[in-house]
Amino acid sequence: MLQTAFNGLVTGVIMTLPALAVTLLFGVLKFPNFAVGAMMTVAAYMVFALNGQLGWPLAAATGVVAVAFGGLCIAIDQLTFKPLRGRGGITLMVASLGLGFVLENIARFAYGNTARSFAIELARPFRFLDVRMNREQMITLALSALAMTLMWLLLTRTPVGRAMRAVADNPQLALVRGIDSERIIRWTWFITGILLAVGGVLIGMDRALEPPMGSNYVVGVFAAAILGGLGSALGAFAGAMIIGVVSELSTLVMPPNYRIGIPLAAIALILVFRPQGLFGQPYIRK
Amino acid sequence: MISFLVLLGIVVCFSAILALALNFQWGLGGMVNFGLAGFYTLGAYSCALLILNGGANTLAATLGAMAIVAAACAATALVTLRVTEEDYFAIVTLGAGEMLRLVALNEDWLTKGALGLTGIPRPLGDVIPADVYVYFLLGLSIALLLGTLWVLNVLARSPFGRVVRALREDDVVAATLGKNVLWARVRIFAVGGAFIGLAGSMHAFYYQYIDPTQFTNIVIAYAFMAVIAGGRGAHAGAIWGAAAVMVLLEGSRFLKDVIPALDSDRLAAIRIIIIGVGLILLLIYRPQGFMREYRLQVELK
Repeated sequence: MLQTAFNGLVTGVIMTLPALAVTLLFGVLKFPNFAVGAMMTVAAYMVFALNGQLGWPLAAATGVVAVAFGGLCIAIDQLTFKPLRGRGGITLMVASLGLGFVLENIARFAYGNTARSFAIELARPFRFLDVRMNREQMITLALSALAMTLMWLLLTRTPVGRAMRAVADNPQLALVRGIDSERIIRWTWFITGILLAVGGVLIGMDRALEPPMGSNYVVGVFAAAILGGLGSALGAFAGAMIIGVVSELSTLVMPPNYRIGIPLAAIALILVFRPQGLFGQPYIRK
Repeated sequence: MISFLVLLGIVVCFSAILALALNFQWGLGGMVNFGLAGFYTLGAYSCALLILNGGANTLAATLGAMAIVAAACAATALVTLRVTEEDYFAIVTLGAGEMLRLVALNEDWLTKGALGLTGIPRPLGDVIPADVYVYFLLGLSIALLLGTLWVLNVLARSPFGRVVRALREDDVVAATLGKNVLWARVRIFAVGGAFIGLAGSMHAFYYQYIDPTQFTNIVIAYAFMAVIAGGRGAHAGAIWGAAAVMVLLEGSRFLKDVIPALDSDRLAAIRIIIIGVGLILLLIYRPQGFMREYRLQVELK
């Protein structure tokens, strides 16, 4: 029971980074980006190319790819989403779905369908209060905590973070105050890219590298972001933890194949009873 | 070659019915359906299981599959009870579709899991001689496609059709005019669902063998591409769009003969990349599609 809860905690922690990315993107761009899963896949394979094929240490490979992937996300945005800005959420949403198919299949084209894994040396798991923790789980916890702290500092303490929140809150007002929204969108994509790259590596470490690895998390990640309230960074964190722990605990009472039912039920319940999410604020769209 | 064209024609017919169903839900009703692949799976499996396990004949099984998918879609639409934003609904449908596909993959006692269901009988398969059967199936598919088109045309031009389009344009205005938005949304989704069930049944009849790998999420990309290319809301457009997408897809099988280095995984990947890039390019350069939605026109004298 304790072990399951701990595993669920780790699953939740893995989802915090992509959930944060989803919520940031939604805040600034106002559409749910369904390509996040495939983006994580592509980033994970880029890390695999450096780590598994060229023999770099995983940490160095992740660092380099994270920054490069941030840039790549800006390029992707300029090519696909920039021409569609202002066309309404539904068009952007369908475009992101198409983008997801393209990215996932670029990974499939390059590396095939066989599962791969990162080159990391094995370490003996250690025990604490009867809970078995392995090294990857510890790295996951530490890295996510670090990323959350950095994100919080960025959003609250830096001019870029303030500008991002301003654009998310009210784009027109931000424009009046002289904030260049295109610049903020580029920053948002850059940060999102870093979050997704690290998220992709964490998923690859937890499971294995295969083309659908990222898209398998899409429903859970969106459930986390909606549960916490789309657009709320703290909410994304809390939502991911709740979804992770509850879906892992659910395997005690129901077949593990249907774990995805938990995030789905969470979305349905939250939409019917508290549409703005746990930490979100209701807002008017029209 | 002739038989290839006949088989292609059948595939185009049931893809077109799927595209018409999506066009009704999304093109006319504004309700995005990212769970299309899952509902399509449900349709095919319901039809096959009603025949194989339930002992129903093919007609009853098809009607049963239509009713089951319609009910599943209606239930999904109920979550729009309070939230009407399409992005939330998109995620709900995506999750529901995913769940249905998992059921097909995991419930071995019912669906035989990854092995799939084999030996699905075809309509009048024992009456019509085997060598001319494909022509009969093509004729039947065309008839069903035209029937679907007719029903949806009648619906779109009825008072209900006007409510459907009003909801797409502005649900608040529709509610202000006294329309029951939730109930209308449930009905829109159910009508679309019934035709998804029909397309799924035809899929089962055509292949006579269904397994979970036939129903990946790529189905969603195909259907959206067909509807967008044809022009959102345009019924005839959805049919031409589906035909174009399927000809492109089936035609790309011949790429293998041109570039022998491609293995089947890579070929499949390339086809999906082409579809995805095509979808994005269409959205950027031709979002209105190539045909127009039916509008009531009055001639001035």
